[in-house]
Amino acid sequence: MLITNIQRFSLNDGPGIRTTIFLKGCNLNCQWCANPENISFEKEKYIKNNIEGIYGKNVTLNELEKEILKDKIYYETGGGVTFSGGEPLLHINELEPLLKRLKKQKINMCIETALMVSQENIKVVLQYIDTFIIDIKILDTNNCKKIIGGDINLYMKNIQTIFEQTQQVIFRIPLIKPYTYNKQNLCKIYEFLDKYKPLKVEIFKTHNLAKSKYESLNKKMIKIEEEISKAEIEEIKTNIAKFNINVEICTF
Amino acid sequence: MKKIIKKYLKIVLTKTNILPYINTFKKIYNKHKRLYKTKKETLKKLKQIRLYKSKNIYKLINNTKVEVDINNHFVYSIDTLKQPIETNRIIGNITVDYERLLNTSLSDFENENNKKLIDSLKRLINKIEKEIKNSNNKYKEKILENLEEIKTSKATTLYSGMQRILFYNQVLWQTGHRLNGLGRLDKILQSLYEQDIKKNILTKENTKELITDFYLTLHKYYWFKSNVLMGDTGQIIILGGKNDDDTYFYNELTYIFIETIKELQIPDPKILLRVSSNNMPKDLIELAVKCIQTGIGCPLFSNDDVIIPKLIDFGYEKQDAYNYVTAACWEPIIPKYSLDQTNIMTINFLKPFNKMLANEDLNKNYTIGEILQKYTNYLKDYCNEVFCTLNKIEWQFDSYLSLLTSGCELEDISIKGAKYNHYGVNSVGLASVVNSIINIKKFVFDEQKYTLEELNNARKNNFNERNDIVDVLKNTENKYGVDNEEIINLTNYITGFVDTIFSEYRNKFNGKLKFGLSSPSYITEAEETDASLDGRKDKEPFTVHISTDSSNAYTELIQFASKLNYSGHRFNGNVVDFIVAPDFIENNFQKFIDFITLSIKVGFFQMQMNVLSSKTLIEAKLHPEQFPNLIVRVWGFSAYFKDLPEEYKEVIIQRALKNEGKM
Repeated sequence: MLITNIQRFSLNDGPGIRTTIFLKGCNLNCQWCANPENISFEKEKYIKNNIEGIYGKNVTLNELEKEILKDKIYYETGGGVTFSGGEPLLHINELEPLLKRLKKQKINMCIETALMVSQENIKVVLQYIDTFIIDIKILDTNNCKKIIGGDINLYMKNIQTIFEQTQQVIFRIPLIKPYTYNKQNLCKIYEFLDKYKPLKVEIFKTHNLAKSKYESLNKKMIKIEEEISKAEIEEIKTNIAKFNINVEICTF
Repeated sequence: MKKIIKKYLKIVLTKTNILPYINTFKKIYNKHKRLYKTKKETLKKLKQIRLYKSKNIYKLINNTKVEVDINNHFVYSIDTLKQPIETNRIIGNITVDYERLLNTSLSDFENENNKKLIDSLKRLINKIEKEIKNSNNKYKEKILENLEEIKTSKATTLYSGMQRILFYNQVLWQTGHRLNGLGRLDKILQSLYEQDIKKNILTKENTKELITDFYLTLHKYYWFKSNVLMGDTGQIIILGGKNDDDTYFYNELTYIFIETIKELQIPDPKILLRVSSNNMPKDLIELAVKCIQTGIGCPLFSNDDVIIPKLIDFGYEKQDAYNYVTAACWEPIIPKYSLDQTNIMTINFLKPFNKMLANEDLNKNYTIGEILQKYTNYLKDYCNEVFCTLNKIEWQFDSYLSLLTSGCELEDISIKGAKYNHYGVNSVGLASVVNSIINIKKFVFDEQKYTLEELNNARKNNFNERNDIVDVLKNTENKYGVDNEEIINLTNYITGFVDTIFSEYRNKFNGKLKFGLSSPSYITEAEETDASLDGRKDKEPFTVHISTDSSNAYTELIQFASKLNYSGHRFNGNVVDFIVAPDFIENNFQKFIDFITLSIKVGFFQMQMNVLSSKTLIEAKLHPEQFPNLIVRVWGFSAYFKDLPEEYKEVIIQRALKNEGKM
């Protein structure tokens, strides 16, 4: 299993205190991605502060399990493990034996996904995952395809499948002008949220904290042309709250 | 200096050793320098210095000048120009038996040996009474009653009890004792508080006013009480704690003490909260975290579940172990009847390691096991040198401390000792040794990237023009503070070795020797230690207590610290030190409380937190005048950032930057 990082004491990836595993490889290409080292499915060389290194490390499921269980005592108050990425659902066949073992040990599991993967993968994962943390990015079919390379119809089908089985969903909306933050997309998001009511919605402005990662990979990070103001983000919060949805502005 | 002393000290310099006079004078001079702007001003003041022999401490007390405040519930006065001559080390860094003092009058203590001393204390009270009578203090009637009570009866109210604690504490400072702890005040004052509330002579609000003035009173001679650095006063108040039936002790005073310091925002006195995973109320932890969140660096958490069993195993009686307090920083001690001197010196784990690297022929084909074996040989010699230093210590005759220490009524504490007479040392450099060994193993043996000689030559040259090696040595994943079996086993192996060596030591009172993995000396000791194979350069500060120099997850560091072996002689303060960004706790409050609560269960020994942002610190370093009240935690105490020497400011800034992932 190729991972880039195991982040213990993770407080922003689901309920309680968690350990987040970052799996390497994604089928989308969002220009604002905060984890550019997780897009390629291969190991990648990088140079940071003149020191060479490699993004990506092969670990066995046993090793992963051991790391996850190290903080087991901290999971007592609702925490657990979160699989993130990249797109973790693309690795689900490889990951499944571990999910099975963790389920047996009653470890709470979350998955952070953009959900544009085959329906088969969703069906596998539904047996194990306690909470889905799902991105809402671009809901227009053409723009989604054009800008991030995603299939929105597949996404909608998957949403349908998940909501038929569980309400344990947190939606995450990265806001960036003009891609996700534009009038048309926001309207679509509101319509969508009216139909699919999650536990919570987390909204956040994309940030440039990943700049040094882009540089280390010799890639350019997208320049944010127009910042989203505090008032604008507050307005979105208010609009979402109108649907009786718990909504939170995140600052990570 | 001799000339200055002759000029400014009107003492007869006999042909006997004048060194103690000079040293005592220097100490007083350096403290007053903090108060006066010019040297001239300081020296003018110092003309009034009077030094007294320890056998004549009653004369010092008799000649003490008294000043009183007008807007304070208490009277507390130290004549900073009168001190005993330090012919030997003065016993300090302890907590006296305030509980007994509350329940006994001064007259009750009187015996043939201490008549002069008791008389001088009574005379001092009379002198204060006279001053207060002539003053405009708005509480003077009450204060007079409280003072009178000290002489004649046990304390009858919370207010008078607090005045009494302050009186005995004031005389401790007056008679040259440093780092005076206050003890478990919520416990000691409980019965007086409950009785006053019941009698309706006190409300919670009044109590808060009293405690506010109590704190401010103790803070009054901040410049004089501060030891090495401003803020290092050792005025520690212990709150909460596990009872010997495993219930958790706390009361309303526990909350009021924390609430009041949280509102006052002063760096000294400081509080320590004894914590336990058994029955400790959640709202008490929440209040403590809210206090820490303000940035004042306290309370420090001390984990009774871990510490108390170690104290009992070491040989403290069960009831005493459950009643532990700490010395100025973190070192657990027994109050009331102990001469435990827990911070006598600092041991430097790295010195013998670097000595080994310097002395041994590294061309030979050593295995990593042999290197470790060689290190322990050098470490053993080093410990023996420490024992020699400890054996040379003589304690100053101390009739006042003997008066306040149960069991020392008839023979002086400095000669006979008390119930417990153990010594303790702190330590630095363990992280550097562990990381050096791990680096040798990885880069010399496993990967064969360098030879040991090559690494050592670079080290001897302070890695001059070999920053490539520094980068490699510093940027390893596996290092001290990481929750990894190999690191933990190695750390425990080294501390276990020292534990065995220490078990052979007995001091002249037949007391034992303990050590811990925290120390105030991470900068001063490092200044005398050359570069090391963890990539640390000459003089570069050591790791602060149990912490990492990278931004590891908090749970990882706690798991690491909780797996260290603190048994035997290894419990002399082991504090995990975190830097936390200011909005981190606020944004994740409930999860942070869960983290603390569960970490107690995981089993850290002690934990302290510095809540600060690099941005504020950098600005405060450039423009101290704009941040006069910015408080930071330094080693075991809090201080105003502006008062710190530049190198201490720099260490804190670097740590904050690393915590924020900016380095």
